[in-house]
Amino acid sequence: MTRFAWVQTRPQTLFAAAALAAFALVAAITGVHLSHLFHSLVAHCHIGCALANQQFLSHDHFMDRTLSIVARVVPALLGMFWGAPLLTRELETGTFRLVWTQTVSRTRWTITKLVMGALGTVLIAGLLTLTITWWYRALDPLASNQYGVFDRRDVVPIGYALFGFAAGALIGAIVRRTVPAMATTLGVFIFARVAVQSWVRPHLLTPVTHSESLGSADQFGIASLNGGAPTVVAQGSGPPSSWTLSTHLLTAAGQPASLAQRSAFVRDYCPSLANRPVGSIPGPGLHHAVAVPTPANGASQACMDKAAHAFRLAVSYLPGDRYWTLQWLEAAVFVGLALLSGIGCFWWVTRRTN
Amino acid sequence: MEVIEFHLDPSSGVATYLQLVQQVHQALQLGLLEPGDRLPTAAQVVASLAINPNTVLKAYRDLEREGLVRARPGLGTFVVGQLPRTDPAAQEKFRRSMSTWLRSAREAGLAIEEIEAIYRTAVRNCLTEGVA
Amino acid sequence: MTAALEASRLGKRYGGKWALSDCSLSIPTGRVVGLVGPNGAGKSTLLHLAVGLLAPSAGTISVLGARPGSGPEALARVGFLAQDSPTYDRLTVAAHLQMGRWLNPAWDDEFASSRISELELDVRQRAGTLSGGQRAQLALTLAVAKRPELLLLDEPVASLDPLARREFLSTLMEIVASRQVSVVLSSHLIADLERVCDYLVLLVSGRVAVSGDVDSLLASHRRLSGPRRDPSTMPGNLMVIEASHAVRQSTIVVRTDGPIIDPAWTVTPLTLDDLVLAYMRQARDGAGAPVSRLAMAP
Repeated sequence: MTRFAWVQTRPQTLFAAAALAAFALVAAITGVHLSHLFHSLVAHCHIGCALANQQFLSHDHFMDRTLSIVARVVPALLGMFWGAPLLTRELETGTFRLVWTQTVSRTRWTITKLVMGALGTVLIAGLLTLTITWWYRALDPLASNQYGVFDRRDVVPIGYALFGFAAGALIGAIVRRTVPAMATTLGVFIFARVAVQSWVRPHLLTPVTHSESLGSADQFGIASLNGGAPTVVAQGSGPPSSWTLSTHLLTAAGQPASLAQRSAFVRDYCPSLANRPVGSIPGPGLHHAVAVPTPANGASQACMDKAAHAFRLAVSYLPGDRYWTLQWLEAAVFVGLALLSGIGCFWWVTRRTN
Repeated sequence: MEVIEFHLDPSSGVATYLQLVQQVHQALQLGLLEPGDRLPTAAQVVASLAINPNTVLKAYRDLEREGLVRARPGLGTFVVGQLPRTDPAAQEKFRRSMSTWLRSAREAGLAIEEIEAIYRTAVRNCLTEGVA
Repeated sequence: MTAALEASRLGKRYGGKWALSDCSLSIPTGRVVGLVGPNGAGKSTLLHLAVGLLAPSAGTISVLGARPGSGPEALARVGFLAQDSPTYDRLTVAAHLQMGRWLNPAWDDEFASSRISELELDVRQRAGTLSGGQRAQLALTLAVAKRPELLLLDEPVASLDPLARREFLSTLMEIVASRQVSVVLSSHLIADLERVCDYLVLLVSGRVAVSGDVDSLLASHRRLSGPRRDPSTMPGNLMVIEASHAVRQSTIVVRTDGPIIDPAWTVTPLTLDDLVLAYMRQARDGAGAPVSRLAMAP
């Protein structure tokens, strides 16, 4: 059965291998050049290093873009073009009636197809992410934050690809039509990625929370949020190379400061600002906030000083050293989803398909 | 090259195996088949006529029961008997008396269809008597 | 002796609709069985149940004494040719033979290669470019070369032109003559199967209307025509299958074991086609006798 499954998937596998080889070749050539550049530009710099870094980081913008897209898209493609048609094509063209009546139980057939496809997927996705991670080996340490490229490096893309493949196989077995199965797979894949990224990843590890005085926050001021009354706003971040999950204001007593409390503060202690018309855009990070222009007198400074004593800023973040734990955990989440899909697919094919 | 080749008439209403038996009978009567000749194998008949091998075997079994052929395992089915060639004089005699009967029926005003119906009923009654 | 196929109150439901219901039959081994019935009668369903592609919703089915598709042993003993003979379009003829070799422990390579060369198929040709007849022959070769004891063919000739049809059936009959194999083949046209089958199973609306040895069926059925008469007054040894009445004449298809003595009847034998039609009408109209009594009423 293994040999026959290989014969069946040989064309796609060879195509994928060829594409991967071509990709690796391009990455190797540009990567070696990049490495060369790193040594001449950055590694031995003594003065003006920031500028050198900047120059180095933006050197191969095109390749950087391409790799980002490839890293994100290939797992989805593997699901669509490898997972979805795996069983669907047999079901759609009726060849399952041929192959299921050979001297091979449907159980063995399904397991062989799934396992071989999964191995191929892991291999392709693994080599791909290895290539990409290698290409960035000089750039990433210089970039501000490793968490910023979390889903395009190291092991998580393998988890994504495996999930895409297994979900595609399951969807294909249920839908039984190749093109709709591919479209559904893409939809499910994107949904799963977005859902995990927004709702699961932030909760996988317990963040470190520390509070600091407002004075040491990245930004802090008086602003109107979404057109409401002016209130105290602040933005902070964790240490370098950490992933900031949330920031919020605390009262001096250490309780979370509600919007009402913060607005009341402005009304009580900064009456000169409370009724001013809003204008001008605030700095980055304060979404939906519109800074209240401060009058050029001491009143506003006094108000700011008061606020700095009345509130503290709490920042929750994942330190840089949790990066690999988070990588393995998120990969495990997707491998788990892939396993569930695979079991579902197996159950569907052996028990339900008729 | 086989000695004889079977053919089928699907519209005759005669069972396939009987058609094969009758064709062997005819070939014997006409002298096309003689003792020692080998009949086509079941596989050959089946391949040329696309019929069930059991049908061929059934026909050959019937012929064997009549003592006309004998199956030799591994070699084939061979003609061993002969059918008496019908005496042409006897045939002529019955043909003539039938003609006389037919003419008198026509003269009595019977239509062709009526004559045929009478003939068929008579044949059936004869055969039924034979069975019962 | 174990039956080739035995079903007891077998049923298969798709959603709320029964494709096959209350189907009981026993098919002996060593026969070429024609499974006949109009489209949608449940022929494919029965064959798919017999090969384990489907599981029954009700009743039981056993093939060569085993539950169909229960494992490699059961699969090895049954060869199946699905409707429209599916093959892998993008794989070559050689790859299909390779598949057969890999997936069937009892694979008869000699038979397979000699058949392919007799058919003058180019082994390097992709199955997708074969004609319908060639594809059917390839699929048949695959099904036979696994050395099954029972061969199930689902509408094997329905999509073939007359020449390919004839060639396919010739091949099949040669195989039956040279190998120990029982065959069940389905068709919605009895004419396709008349020459080749020696056992008939007629399915109508998911039920078995009649089944039995073809020669016995033909010998036991007669068409009677004669003066108009209520079929319910027929002698007890005659089972009325179908009756139609004109003003003065009745034509009745009966099943009987003995000769018909009554001189009032003109007795004619039935062709297999007539017999199948009579049973199909009987199944459609319900049991023959009550309906014909109603027809007598006015």
